[in-house]
Amino acid sequence: MRKIFLFIFVLSSYLSMAQETFNVNGAHNTNHNYYAFKNATIHVDYQTTIEKGTLLIQDGKVVAAAKNVSLPDNVVVYDLDGKHIYPSLIDVYSDYGLALPKVNKSGGHVNHSKQKQRGALGWNEAIKAEVESGKLFKVNPKKAEELRKLGFGVVLTHQQDGIMRGTSALVTLANDKANAVMLNNNIANHLSFNKGTSTQGYPGSLMGMIALLRQTYYDADWLSKNENADEFNISLDAVTKNKEMLQIFEANDKLSILRADKVGDEFELQYVFKGRGDEYQRIEEIKATEGKLIVPLNFPEVYDVTDAYSALKVNYSDVKNWELAPYNLGILAKNEIDFSITTSDLKDKKVFFKNLRRAIKSGISEENALKALTYSPANLLNEYDRIGSLEKGKLANFIVTSENLFAEKTIIYENWIKGKKHVIADYNVLDVRGNYDVNLGAKIYEVKVTGEPSKLKGSIKIIGTKDGKADTSKVKVTVVAKGNTISLSFNPNDDFQKGNIRLSGTVSSNTGIWDGNGQLSNGDWIKWTAIKAKSDKKKEKKDEAKEEQDSLFIPRIQYPNMAYGFDSLPKAETILIKGATVWTNEVEGILKNTDVLLKNGIIEAIGNNLEIPEAIVVDGTGKHLTTGIIDEHSHIAISRGVNECTQSVTAEVSIADVVNSDDINIYRQLAGGVTTSQLLHGSCNPVGGQSAIIKLKWGSSPDSMQIKNTPGFIKFALGENVKRAGGRSRFPQTRMGVEQVYYDAFIRAREYKNAWDNFAATPKKKKATAVAPRRDLELETLNEIMNSERFISCHSYQQGEINMLMHVADSMGFMVNTFTHILEGYKVADKMKEHGVGGSTFSDWWAYKFEVNDAIPYNGAIMHNQGITVAFNSDDAEMGRRLNQEAAKAVKYGGVSEEEAWKFVTLNPAKLLHLDNKLGSIKIGKDADVVLWSDNPLSIYAKVEKTIIDGAVYFDIEKDAENQKANQEEKARIIEKMIVAKNGGAKTQKAMSKKPKHYHCDTVGE
Amino acid sequence: MKNILVLLFIGTFLSSTAQIETPGPKQASKILLLNGIAHLGTGEIIKNSAIAFENGKLTEVANAAAIKIDFKQFDTVIKLNESQHIYPGFITPNSTLGLTEIDAVRMTHDYAEYGIFKPHVRSIIAYNTESKITTTVRSNGVLLGQITPRSGTISGTSSIVHFDAWNWEDAIIKKDDGVHLNWEGMYNRWTGKTNKNYDKSIANLNTFFNNALAYSKKKVHEEKNLRFEAMRGVFNGEKTLYIHANFIKEITEAINFSKKHEVTKLVIVGGYDAWMATDMLNENKVSVILKRVHSLPTHQEEDVYLPYKMPKKLFDAGVLFCLENAGDMAAMQTRNLPFYAGTAAAYGMEKEEALKLITLNTAKILGIDNLVGSLEIGKDATLFISEGDALDMRTNNIKTAFIQGRLIDIDNHQKKLFRKYSEKYEE
Repeated sequence: MRKIFLFIFVLSSYLSMAQETFNVNGAHNTNHNYYAFKNATIHVDYQTTIEKGTLLIQDGKVVAAAKNVSLPDNVVVYDLDGKHIYPSLIDVYSDYGLALPKVNKSGGHVNHSKQKQRGALGWNEAIKAEVESGKLFKVNPKKAEELRKLGFGVVLTHQQDGIMRGTSALVTLANDKANAVMLNNNIANHLSFNKGTSTQGYPGSLMGMIALLRQTYYDADWLSKNENADEFNISLDAVTKNKEMLQIFEANDKLSILRADKVGDEFELQYVFKGRGDEYQRIEEIKATEGKLIVPLNFPEVYDVTDAYSALKVNYSDVKNWELAPYNLGILAKNEIDFSITTSDLKDKKVFFKNLRRAIKSGISEENALKALTYSPANLLNEYDRIGSLEKGKLANFIVTSENLFAEKTIIYENWIKGKKHVIADYNVLDVRGNYDVNLGAKIYEVKVTGEPSKLKGSIKIIGTKDGKADTSKVKVTVVAKGNTISLSFNPNDDFQKGNIRLSGTVSSNTGIWDGNGQLSNGDWIKWTAIKAKSDKKKEKKDEAKEEQDSLFIPRIQYPNMAYGFDSLPKAETILIKGATVWTNEVEGILKNTDVLLKNGIIEAIGNNLEIPEAIVVDGTGKHLTTGIIDEHSHIAISRGVNECTQSVTAEVSIADVVNSDDINIYRQLAGGVTTSQLLHGSCNPVGGQSAIIKLKWGSSPDSMQIKNTPGFIKFALGENVKRAGGRSRFPQTRMGVEQVYYDAFIRAREYKNAWDNFAATPKKKKATAVAPRRDLELETLNEIMNSERFISCHSYQQGEINMLMHVADSMGFMVNTFTHILEGYKVADKMKEHGVGGSTFSDWWAYKFEVNDAIPYNGAIMHNQGITVAFNSDDAEMGRRLNQEAAKAVKYGGVSEEEAWKFVTLNPAKLLHLDNKLGSIKIGKDADVVLWSDNPLSIYAKVEKTIIDGAVYFDIEKDAENQKANQEEKARIIEKMIVAKNGGAKTQKAMSKKPKHYHCDTVGE
Repeated sequence: MKNILVLLFIGTFLSSTAQIETPGPKQASKILLLNGIAHLGTGEIIKNSAIAFENGKLTEVANAAAIKIDFKQFDTVIKLNESQHIYPGFITPNSTLGLTEIDAVRMTHDYAEYGIFKPHVRSIIAYNTESKITTTVRSNGVLLGQITPRSGTISGTSSIVHFDAWNWEDAIIKKDDGVHLNWEGMYNRWTGKTNKNYDKSIANLNTFFNNALAYSKKKVHEEKNLRFEAMRGVFNGEKTLYIHANFIKEITEAINFSKKHEVTKLVIVGGYDAWMATDMLNENKVSVILKRVHSLPTHQEEDVYLPYKMPKKLFDAGVLFCLENAGDMAAMQTRNLPFYAGTAAAYGMEKEEALKLITLNTAKILGIDNLVGSLEIGKDATLFISEGDALDMRTNNIKTAFIQGRLIDIDNHQKKLFRKYSEKYEE
């Protein structure tokens, strides 16, 4: 022991020579005294506890934390008998001490070529990689206090502005100069899917943000390797430097975590994700990212659903999330995901512990909660050698609490930061709150003590008689408690006393019993005692019982976690559909009374009297079996923007990056027999973004819905939408301009290709020193088109522009694959046929714009008669589920045969999407994507009975009825809970129906 | 039996010559339609029918086998085959046909007047009989419509027209039939949040109705208030009050509101939640013009087919209701009105009952069932012949149509372009 002591002494004398760079005004006030905290329950780290231990600190650092510590002479001793010491908490997601830059938000929508920022920064204002929060940081005593009160000692703070936000600083929450509170600078690099204060238009959508991120990484990389570059770019320089740090990405929700991770994978960066608290809904995919998480505790407030009609307005998914959000932490822990807890996103930080307790009740252990507030954040920052526990040598950052940190009535007394005390509540003030029976000998009063320990309030209920009837009145009691002394003063004004009674006494630290002497209004002295009322103790027990019940609840997570979500995903089955009328879309035509076998996700057999013992048999008698409907033009299932409107050419953006698996319209389309949809970019710009082609596998993740290993597609657009979008100052404003946009884009793309070809052809020797051309995602995509690796679906209306694009394509050496909408296709069907382009049109839409004045419902028929591959599409979530009826309109308008009309929504779109090798017909070996109809599928009287994708049943009309009932019951069950919560005093929000956005071609914005 | 064949092809004959569709001449000849399947619009169906009309009115509606027909008395007998169907002209209520031409071109819009309370604004005078859209609508069997203004709290006064007229005066079936009130939404349409202005708006509405009612009690005012004058009919039975409301709470408040203000005839338009308020609707004799059947459900957890099933729900509850088409691209979509009835039939209703939702029920609700809405003797000969079931797009195929006995030209701009370009490629 002596040796240890000696060592400590040596160490501290070394430390005492600590110097500082700042000038001192007056005499130096150095203090190298020790502080000892005795008899405390010391939580050294999240899993080690010392009962009745001593914490010894000096010069802001922990000297020892042990059961027995011999104390040096110059020590100030605090007796913390019965109290707890915890390492102070760490929040790694904070903007403490940082303000958003002030920006003049005037216009600047499209014209981003003007540089508004000062300095040699990058072109896009949302890329602020050069920002160093440590340089901007300013101590904010008020905010610091708010966080200290919650037990936090250190935060990682950054300016939360932009897509690339620059670096953060690690600071303590002490009131001191910035240099004293800062522990480390440039500790992590921050990113988000939020443009922040940027006044520029681009990026105007989530997919645009993703594209910008990727391009920025490539640009930075190129610039860093290119010594002869004609540019110095501070922002990109910082991007490269910051890559070496920890990467923290604010993703706005569970799906954006997956999106960010994909970007990270491309650049070999493993992000840490700041989530929203809904990670439990996609836990497997999130675990697979291998990213650590930072999660908030902002559980939704309970909806006021006492009015049954208003409750109708609250979405099922919001009701579900209200119930399940508190389980998120427990589920993360159970899945062994490394996570830290943040106070960010909490509008009212005071609810932090309340919510944390809810999370603990809902499955996360106290140990794991403490870990996520101490060890995990410290370890994440690679700072566990300084913070996160109270081992020797670490910063003396700790809190003193009245009891277990997570207990409901716990009080945080003190928050020590680098050995400096910050008093939050004086522990010399005993917490005497509760109900007491105050016994004055001749009379017992029931006193209720509430309020803050430093500012107590008291009251007595006096039961007397008034006019012969029982009468209750409430009398105020002045209660002052300091240390172990207490005084009460009140005037009961009853039969016992008409004047003031004043009682003084002491509180026993052990028993909590009060006793002492008092004086009645007549001056008589009395003896009095007070003990906790029995009713008070009972109530505590009751609360505990309720908590136990809560922990028994097993959260039911649906996939997706909303109405009609599955409890477990459907799997491919062996299904034999017997005796149906089968629309093969092949030379066999429409076969009556035929059996179709689905096995292992493909169509295994077509025939008569098939007998497969292991198969699930579906009676198809009187029913029609078809291949699933394919919607060539859909905008369902997209997150945060269908258009990147801000530039005329945005080939770099992709809907595939922003597929939203949580759109109820996926299920609704299934209920209309749709199995595959092309999710197209909108029609804002001549060259729009890339498509996603998904199978409507409801419940799956966005990634697993997408059809892989198939050529990509891209949206082009002509006509009014292009002219109108992006404001009055964006080129092009006319069809004339549109042509030139194409020529410009493709000529640039060709030059780009040449540059790369030249580079590839550079002799090996020279190549070592040559710099590769800059990768340009936009031009790369255009080259994919020219190389027939990516195909165009072009929004188009009038014959002139249709003609124009075919000329551009011919002269630039590429093909237009599909004209979509193509309402004047009938006028140039012969030219289209010659070019070899298909037409995906509306059955009967017109009159919504000037350019569709000559749109006719016979368009499909005429194009079809000219030998063009014709599809009918929806562009609309509502019509998307009635495409079978739209196909019938090809029969009505123009007399196409039923068999051919049916192909307009199945085989033909499959051909246009280059998927007819596996989709679009009932043929052995093709994907088992089939629909069973109650009637001829072209008839208005036909109903979908089953929709099967890859051999798995995704929609079943009988199951659908059960689901409806289950939905209703589930919602009602949770509403019951909500009402209990509301009555229990939970803060409520008004019932509201959050509306998912329905996108069309011309929808601008997120 | 003079001109059977001629008439059967007259539609096509007219269209191949005329440049612009021209209103048909007044019915001069007595016409008999024989052997077709007649859907009367009353719920009844006559398979081998005899339908006669002269001077624009129906003179016979019967089973051809059950009556003795004196063919000599007819100038024209149109012999139909047994798979051809005859329907009363379909009626589109709450329509902006003729008030708009191109959705995205504001200058073609004439349905949204400036202001909040505008009962004095009348749709009829803005109704454009030359609308190109209307010609594409009637060729699917929709021959009549209630032309209705939009916007504001009280959007204006509607009128009912037929779709074959030289000018708006010619078109009138019923002038100024009702006043349209858009009930203030309790929730914001876009954000879904509660509407903070709701109480204030309803208070303003009450003030307006209180004053309008008081004003109407005095017959002559020296200084006339155009708005209040236009409201008189709502209190004296001459006009219907159409309240456009969808949410259940809005519907119930609207009904209580109209009771309080002595409204003589109330119709709920839209009525998404009407199926939840059927007792109240029936007790108060309130009928419903039900919103577009081909819609998405409003709420995530609702039956995905709820809008398809609403007609059956209202029918089972005994509510008098019909179907409308307001919504996206409403004018152009009017030609799909027949298929909304088809969907009602697919989702539970009997076909002839579903047909009533775009014929007789509509006529009753609009107060024009004395003239149109069904094939009954004495009513207008406003009807059409379809090659197949007109409620199914697979079979809806109209070759001939009459409005008030006049053979109308069912050609349109779109058919002309079809012919023009089909011929181009045939060369």
